[in-house]
Amino acid sequence: MIDNWLPFLIFGAFALIIPGTMITASFVLSTRPTHRTKARTVPFESGVSQGPPKQQRFTVSFYLTAMLFILFDIEIVFLYPLAVILRKLGWFGFTEFGFFVAILALAYVYIWRKGALEWR
Amino acid sequence: MDPWWIDAIKGFLIINIVLVCFAYTTWLERKLLSRMQGRFGPNRAGPFGLLQPIADLVKLVRKEAFMPMSASAKLYIAAPILSTFTALLAFAVIPFGAGWHIWKWDVSGVVVDAPISLVLIFALGSLGVYGFIIGGWASDSKYSTLGAMRTCAQLVSYEVSLALAVLGVVIQAGTLNLSEIVHQQGTQFWFFGPQFVGLVVFFLAGTAETSRPPFDLPEGDTEIVAGYHTEYSGMRWGLFQMSEYVHMITLSALGVTLFFGGWHGPWAPLGPLWFFLKLLVVVFLFIWMRASLPRLRYDQLMRFGWKILLPVATLNAFITALVVVAVN
Repeated sequence: MIDNWLPFLIFGAFALIIPGTMITASFVLSTRPTHRTKARTVPFESGVSQGPPKQQRFTVSFYLTAMLFILFDIEIVFLYPLAVILRKLGWFGFTEFGFFVAILALAYVYIWRKGALEWR
Repeated sequence: MDPWWIDAIKGFLIINIVLVCFAYTTWLERKLLSRMQGRFGPNRAGPFGLLQPIADLVKLVRKEAFMPMSASAKLYIAAPILSTFTALLAFAVIPFGAGWHIWKWDVSGVVVDAPISLVLIFALGSLGVYGFIIGGWASDSKYSTLGAMRTCAQLVSYEVSLALAVLGVVIQAGTLNLSEIVHQQGTQFWFFGPQFVGLVVFFLAGTAETSRPPFDLPEGDTEIVAGYHTEYSGMRWGLFQMSEYVHMITLSALGVTLFFGGWHGPWAPLGPLWFFLKLLVVVFLFIWMRASLPRLRYDQLMRFGWKILLPVATLNAFITALVVVAVN
């Protein structure tokens, strides 16, 4: 088992080492100013040098999108294995596929009509 | 089964080729954009500005390393590493050749020949979102946080369409192994014909997934300065840029693999060279789109993703399933 994934681990090590070295190099080789003014170390505020507001609020659409994503991603997780063996299953597989998609379509129409897909 | 040192050499070569591809994609992008806008683009460093990526690298590494005082340092540094790591790792499963017999070893044309390579690519793409959202949150700036939220929402929305667009190909090929999918296209036909709708959805969702124009809302510089990497500079910023470009190259390579027959060519068995040429054409298309199309508004982006791409992709998968089962 580990043998099959060994090349993946090796490649992963390379993929981790390269950005790691780059970050390290960017700290080691960077130019250093003799002193930093305070304005340099506050977050960018386009002229207004107050800190960021302590409490961040976001529109509810972000949360809705995240929830919808989970639903539809689960759909995909279920459809992929079915798609692989669809030829073997034949009409039985297709009926199951259609049933699954029909339920989803129903839910999709519901959330559309409820206005969950509108961005506000 | 290759011995481990062959895997190591192959992995080292491939990752370096990807990095060189990334460096010269930035060069190509600047050069092409300039020509399309009636400018010359980089032309000082070396002939045709060919040494520009190296000059950029030196400049980025030498830049002053500072971060906002209120940023949480560990996460701030880890975020670009994470996003680059996942972007680079995804290229491991892309097959680029049929495999060769060198002396007494069989060397396969893919770094990891996983039976689930397609799922692996999408999984790594999803993990990449963490890099952006951690980076934006750790900077503790309002533009970064907003940009991170936007990036997250956009990437997850279009990932659904992206994965569904590929479902048609999976149904036709009956496998999730990318090498196997390419082999099938070699023996019968390339999938861009029967899966044309899938290809279009894949390309559009892929553009959004890599946040390329016209879907570059995550760094909409007219609205939120630079999105999640507002507080990043130097090579830390460079790594975010790198992850974005590597992601684009990987997605282009995935498109070539799934729809255009991978390393197979219409004539002359050139192998990886065909793969590379097709990759270049797709990357050129991405750059061309950046030069020609204006950025969408955020509500337009969301509406397009959820109300047009998603139903079209589902319908495409459904009709493919019907045809495949009926013919079978």
